Amino acid sequence: MGLRFNNKMNNSKLFKGLFLAIVVLPVASGLVYAFLFSLGIIGVLNKGFHWDVWQTVLFDKPFWVSFGYSLYVALLSVAISLSVALTIALSWQKKLQKGLLSNVIYLPLCFPATVMAFFSFQLLAKSGLLSRIGYQLGFIKEINDFPVLIKDAYGMGIIFTSVLLITPFFIILFSNLYQSEKIASYVNLAKTLGASNRQILQKVMVPILLKRASITIYLFVIFVMGSYEVPLLLGRQNPQMISVAVLQKIQRFNLYDMPQGYAMSMLYVLLIMLILLIIYIKNSNLFKTQNS
Amino acid sequence: MRKKVLQYLFMLSIGFPLAFLLLLSLGRRWSFPSVFPQELSFVNWELLHQSDDRLFQTFFLSMAISLVVSLMVTSLAFVVSKEIAYSKYRNTFLFLAYIPYLLSPVILAVIFQYFFIISNLTGTFLGVVIAQFLIAFPFGVLIYVNFWNKQIKELENLSYTLGGNRWQTFRKVLLPLSKNAIVLCFFQVFLISWFEYGLTNLIGVGKIKTLTVSVFNFINEANIFYAALASCLLVIPPMMLLYINKRFIFIKR
Repeated sequence: MGLRFNNKMNNSKLFKGLFLAIVVLPVASGLVYAFLFSLGIIGVLNKGFHWDVWQTVLFDKPFWVSFGYSLYVALLSVAISLSVALTIALSWQKKLQKGLLSNVIYLPLCFPATVMAFFSFQLLAKSGLLSRIGYQLGFIKEINDFPVLIKDAYGMGIIFTSVLLITPFFIILFSNLYQSEKIASYVNLAKTLGASNRQILQKVMVPILLKRASITIYLFVIFVMGSYEVPLLLGRQNPQMISVAVLQKIQRFNLYDMPQGYAMSMLYVLLIMLILLIIYIKNSNLFKTQNS
Repeated sequence: MRKKVLQYLFMLSIGFPLAFLLLLSLGRRWSFPSVFPQELSFVNWELLHQSDDRLFQTFFLSMAISLVVSLMVTSLAFVVSKEIAYSKYRNTFLFLAYIPYLLSPVILAVIFQYFFIISNLTGTFLGVVIAQFLIAFPFGVLIYVNFWNKQIKELENLSYTLGGNRWQTFRKVLLPLSKNAIVLCFFQVFLISWFEYGLTNLIGVGKIKTLTVSVFNFINEANIFYAALASCLLVIPPMMLLYINKRFIFIKR
C-alpha cells in the first residue's frame, strides 16, 4: 500500500514536471532569449546593453498600429460573426438539430485558414470570380473598375475570410447552447408572462446565449488577433496584423530589424497573458468543468 | 417558403468554396473576363497518381507529421492531464496551458526558433513534429481536463479497492470511459497539425513542404490550379474525419 502511494506520488511529480517542461519551459526560455536579444546582450547583433529597441517598440507607432489594427479586425470579425450566427441559430433552430443543415453546417470547419484565404483571394481579387461575373453582367467595363476588396486599408478581405471561418463555429455553439440552456422553456415562460417577440429576443434569448458563450467569444477575439495566414495573403504592407508584422521583422534581409521583431513578439505575448489574466479574474469559472 | 429558399441558399453557399476550388483544380487556363476556366481536364489530378509527383509526396509527408503529432499528444496529454486535473494547483496549471494555446503559433515559432537552430532541428521532419507537438500539447491537456472528474476518480478508486492493478484499471475502466475524449483529442490535434502553416514554414525553413506550405508556394508561383488542387487535398481528410465522427462516434454516444 505504502509502495503504491510512493509510486503514485513519484508519477504525479514526474507528469507535472513533464507538463512544465513541455508547456512552460519552451515559452519561458524563448521569452528570456527574445528579451536578451532585444537588449543587445546576446545574439549575432550583440553590441552591449541598450534600450533603443524597446524605446522604438514602446513609443513609436508601428507596434501599436499593428496591435490596434489586429484588435479592430478581430472585434469587427467576431461582431459580424456573432450577429450572423445568432440570427441563423435562433431562426433555424429546428433545422440545425436534425436534417441536412445539421450535417452541412459542420462542413466549413474542414477548411483551414490557408484554403479559405486562397478562396477569398480568387473570389474578391480584381481578376477574381466576382469581378468576372460583374464584367459579364455589365456592372464593370474593365478590370480596374472593380473595387479593391483585398489588400485594402480597412482589411475587408481579412474580415470577410475571418467571418467565413468562425461563423459556422458560433452557429454550432449557439445551437447547442439553445438546447443545453433550455432556452425554449424560458421563451415559453416569457410568453406566458406577456412578453412580446422582440422582448423575448432582446431580454431572454440573446443575453443568455451571449453570457454563456462570453469566454469563448473573448478567446476567439484573441485567436483572430493572432491569425497569420489570412492577413499574409489578403492584407497589405501597411497596416499589418501583428503576426505578419513580427514575422517580417524577423525574416527581413536587414538583420538590424530582428531585435525589434523579438521585442514585438515578447510584448505581444505579455499583452495576451495580461488579457488572459483579466479574463480569468473576471470569470472565476473559466477553468471549471461540469463535475469539478 | 422564403425561409426554405434562404436555407437552401445558405447550404449552397457552404458548399460553394469546395465546388469553386474543385473547378479551379481542373483548370489549365483562366484569363479575364472568362467566368469559368477555358480549359478543364483531369491532368492535374492524374499527376497525383505518379509517386514522384511533388504533391503526392507532400500529401503523405503532411499525413505522417499530423499522425505522429496527434498520436504523441493524444497519449501523453492523457496521462499528464490526469495529474493536472486532480492537482490542488489545477487552475494555475490550466492558466499556464492557456498561454501557448492562445498565442499565435507563428509568434511561438519566432520565440522557439533559436533553440531549434542550435539543436539543428530546423528544416527537419523531427523539428517540425516537435514544434507542432509543443503548440498542440496544451490543447490536448485542455481537452482531457474536462474528462477527469470526481465520478471517474471514484470509479478508478473502486477498481483498486476491488483488487485491480494499474494496467487492469486503465484497460478495463479508464480506457472504455475515455474513448470519446481520446478520439476527440486525436481528431482535434490532427486538424491543428494538418492546418498549420506559419510555424511549420518557419521551423521547417521551406525544406519541410507540407500541403499548407505548398498552397502558399503555388500561389507565389502564380500556379492557382495547383494551389486549388493542394487546397482540395487539404480539405478532404478533415471531411473524412468529420464523416467518421458524425457517422460512427457521435451516433454511438
